[in-house]
Amino acid sequence: MPPDYTAASVPVRNDLTAAHQRAWERLRRPGTWWTGAERVAIAGAVRAAWRCALCRERKAALSPNAVAGRHDGEAALPDAAVEAVHRLTTDPGRLSEQWLAGLRAAGLSDGHYVELIGVVATVVSSDSFCRGLGVPPHPLPAPLPGEPSRYRPAQARPEGAWVPMIAAREATGAEEGLFGGGQTGNVIRALSLVPDEVRQLRDLSAAHYLTERQMIDLAAGRSLSRAQMELVAGRVSALRECFY
Amino acid sequence: MLLRASGEMTGLAVDPTAVVDGAAAAASGVPHAPVLVRFAEAMVGEDDAALADARAALASELGPERLVDAAAVASNFERMVRIADGTGIPLDIPVAVLASDVRTTLGLDRFASAARTPAVGMAGRAIAAVLGPVLRGVLRGVGRIRGTRAKAN
Repeated sequence: MPPDYTAASVPVRNDLTAAHQRAWERLRRPGTWWTGAERVAIAGAVRAAWRCALCRERKAALSPNAVAGRHDGEAALPDAAVEAVHRLTTDPGRLSEQWLAGLRAAGLSDGHYVELIGVVATVVSSDSFCRGLGVPPHPLPAPLPGEPSRYRPAQARPEGAWVPMIAAREATGAEEGLFGGGQTGNVIRALSLVPDEVRQLRDLSAAHYLTERQMIDLAAGRSLSRAQMELVAGRVSALRECFY
Repeated sequence: MLLRASGEMTGLAVDPTAVVDGAAAAASGVPHAPVLVRFAEAMVGEDDAALADARAALASELGPERLVDAAAVASNFERMVRIADGTGIPLDIPVAVLASDVRTTLGLDRFASAARTPAVGMAGRAIAAVLGPVLRGVLRGVGRIRGTRAKAN
């Protein structure tokens, strides 16, 4: 059943519902590096992470590296992927390049990792929205069969982040318009090793927050003023210890 | 930086301290900041009863449409922080330069993720000192021309 908010106690904008339905449809399809079944398993691991004893212990520790153990939840994914999902979900502010190097050494490719971030971020966001409104999280979709495309854009290269990215001026060919045209911020380019995850990000952000065009108009808002929106955004980011 | 800039654009004198200290919300200059900050904090927290209270307070004070938008924004940034922190991106250079004073004031450099962005040198700080007030003046002027200042909300 696609996401809907008919059970919510408040009316939800149609564009939000539609964006979440598109996100759920993409979630169950084969991606660039993961199958549909694996993408849905990643989504399931996001939900398991919140109840994971190891994650709770690590979160409480001075350093997450000080606590060893196994994550709770089903093991339909490689251990490195489970570790990535759980840390991204429960303790994103203390990730490090060294931690990512450990995942690479365990066999997780950059492409797999970037797509995994996209899936985690989508599910966390959807579940958080539901929780904010006091409705249950949407049931995970049934995966569709098929193989991942394994498409890697030739323009992606090291650009100062932990993973390769496409420069705004090099979003050409199949990636024409990937960033909406013109310059863009690092956070929009962050997932560009897997261009479909950038498209997903832009689609959801336009409904949850603002379109790129609205973002550069500092007076643009919704029912909340822009200052009110930025206050909420800033408080959430600070509580997650996100410098960006 | 966007909080301060949007305040300039709409004629609000914004104190961004509430971003790192929810208790400062009432003094932020942002209309209805306490109820919005309380809701944002409850969204990130794990106490469902506290979230239910915060949700009810927000809906009562601002109405259902703004409750939905607040939940949408908060959950959007639950997504964005994971993308930023998972990929290890640094701050964009113009933002790093122009927002260096805000970051210092708010103590954001203490976050582990701050290490990914090179420190702004003397030249950068000098540029920010010159350009910052100019840009704020431009934003105020544009806001006046567009009639967005002191937009009631």
